[in-house]
Amino acid sequence: MAGVAKKDVVLQVDNLKKSYGPVTIVENFSMKVHAGEAVALTGRNGAGKSTVLRCLVGADRPDEGTVTVNGTKVTETNPEIRRAVATVIDDLDFFPDLSVVEHLDLLARAHGLHEPDALVDEVLEEVQLVPQAGQLPSTLSSGQRRRLALATAFVRPRQLLVLDEPEQRLDVEGVAWLGERLKAELDGGLAIVLASHEPALLQAIGARELRLEGAR
Amino acid sequence: MRDWRRGRADRNLWQALSDGYVMVFSIVVIGAMLVSSILQAQETAAVCDTDGCVAARGLLPWASVAGVLAFTLVVSRLFGPVAASAAEGFWLMDGPTDRRRILAGRLFGAIGAAGALGAAAGALIAALTGSGPVEIGIWALAGGLGAAGLIAFAAAEQGLDRHWIVTGVQWLIGAAAIGTMVLLVSGAAGWMDLGRLTLLAVELALIIAGVGLLLVVAAGFLAYRRLRNIKRQRLTSGGSLISGLQGAAFALEFALIRDILVEAKARQRGHVRPTRGLGHGTTALVMRDVQRLWRQPLPLVTLVATIVVPYAVQALGLAMLNPPISALVLLAALVPFMNSLRVLTRTKGLQRCFPFDPGQLRTAAMIVPAVLALLWTVGAFPAFLGVAGGVATDPVSAASAALVTGVAGLLGAVRWVSAKPADYSGPIVSTGVGAMPPGLMFSLLRGIDMVALITLPIVFNWPAWISLIIALIAFSLLRSGIDRDSLMDQQAEQKRMLEEERARRSGAPAAGKQKIQVQRKR
Repeated sequence: MAGVAKKDVVLQVDNLKKSYGPVTIVENFSMKVHAGEAVALTGRNGAGKSTVLRCLVGADRPDEGTVTVNGTKVTETNPEIRRAVATVIDDLDFFPDLSVVEHLDLLARAHGLHEPDALVDEVLEEVQLVPQAGQLPSTLSSGQRRRLALATAFVRPRQLLVLDEPEQRLDVEGVAWLGERLKAELDGGLAIVLASHEPALLQAIGARELRLEGAR
Repeated sequence: MRDWRRGRADRNLWQALSDGYVMVFSIVVIGAMLVSSILQAQETAAVCDTDGCVAARGLLPWASVAGVLAFTLVVSRLFGPVAASAAEGFWLMDGPTDRRRILAGRLFGAIGAAGALGAAAGALIAALTGSGPVEIGIWALAGGLGAAGLIAFAAAEQGLDRHWIVTGVQWLIGAAAIGTMVLLVSGAAGWMDLGRLTLLAVELALIIAGVGLLLVVAAGFLAYRRLRNIKRQRLTSGGSLISGLQGAAFALEFALIRDILVEAKARQRGHVRPTRGLGHGTTALVMRDVQRLWRQPLPLVTLVATIVVPYAVQALGLAMLNPPISALVLLAALVPFMNSLRVLTRTKGLQRCFPFDPGQLRTAAMIVPAVLALLWTVGAFPAFLGVAGGVATDPVSAASAALVTGVAGLLGAVRWVSAKPADYSGPIVSTGVGAMPPGLMFSLLRGIDMVALITLPIVFNWPAWISLIIALIAFSLLRSGIDRDSLMDQQAEQKRMLEEERARRSGAPAAGKQKIQVQRKR
């Protein structure tokens, strides 16, 4: 998170438009997210929250408009963007032959951390996956897989965190933990954009809410 | 259930075949090609008339039928061999139904299907090695009854919920297949006098057929008696695996079929002893692939065993076809080392977590397989020299052929693992067997196309540098991962930028400045 002062604009979206065939999912969508700020996209199912998030991380290409992170235009394959943006959206996959702890170790090392053991252990403990450290992902429950997905975002350097309904499949304690963790991330200067249906979570992190109205 | 299904059938067999005329036509064409290949192979085999070559030819059906039998056991262990769907497990097996009545047809069906497929494989192998009609019949009998007997045996063991005997037999038969290949090469090279061994070929086939028949009767009876004891979980896990594979098979997605099998194996294993990674950056990915070799050494054993193939092919006098045949075998042997590449290319979610561009990621994931392919090439080089019999060539030509084979196998495996599936969101072509995306049929050729492209110049006796240039172009395309979607994306982006520039020059206002509908601060 080094190099970004609080109040710096981390994410800027200008006039985003995305359509699927004749249906316009989102149009004229603009926003700025500063370091240390959380923005929550809310709205009913199909309102376009996930579509916007996918455009923010470059998973989908917007039909119009621009998305920049730290002034660099977002393209999914740009290593600079990949280094800055940690993402937990619905398309995360896991290596079938690597255990939970090996996934975290690999990601931390790939991001240049030389001795990641302490950080990996800390995150593993936080997401309560210590007993499952040696398990292969296909044997995890859906809630545990969700925790592993969240752990992959916390084990690496990041300036912007993009989360799609992170509370999904988490138990009550899990949602409370997530709120505390995200609050701590904000205090450390991280920018967060999330889509959520969980008012308690949004309240816990004091997120600015943007309501999307959906397809036309 | 059968009555219910029959009562609702709206087509008879003839109508179904008429609807699928493209498939019938394809089967006829492929059948004609197969017969033509058999006749050509028989002509080639007739040319091979030295003692060593004849001895090697006599041993080939031994090795191949042993391979077919080992494969039969692998498949039977994967699926059961007796399986039931999740619905049957939930609705029927919870109630007071006789499980044997539900499963008996399935047991006999599995034994019959194994018999038919084993017989076809045995006959095909014998025909391809230039055997006469009587020998072809005997090897068909050996393959058919052997496979059917092993399925019956595996089903009998399934009734006792016991695995280790079937696993042991599978390893024994697999080792016999590899051992026979080594014998074949040694005989052809003149390193070993096979003497009367090859004369036993037909007798051995009859022995296999006899043992197979015995197993069909005895183990089949035991399996039938034990049908009531098979645990529901063992029945339904095989059933759900079959249904998952069926979906992938209909889409001709062989890489997806492998993904499903790998997931099933991982679920079965469940847990590993975690190991600390090494290095950082892309090195961490490469070192993790190295650590995988220790964790799963079996593919390494298979890769080492496949080195015997170029020696055997050369010994059989098929020097010209050695590069494509051996490259295809290498392709299959290298795929298990490409789990990283597969996961990193099938969805972008995990790829996005790594701070590298796709080219760097692909290159990192190719390094360990490339080193293994190189070692394999070094090991196979003497085969192309002709040290194990067959056509002898000069060192430069042999090295070129070995290198082209290794590169073709590697790039074929990379293509097989990383190619995108057929795109169902694009235009769909109407065919006699229903609507299908244009890329669907190419799924069948994935990987094989790369091997053909790179090795064909060698087959046509053109200079090896042509193959190497083709390989270089193929590598740069595979490394960058350029595909139709990416090209279309790039084209769309360029078009959009051009339109924006035109609008800017003509002074037209930029796209709408409206903000989103509601914003409120908590």
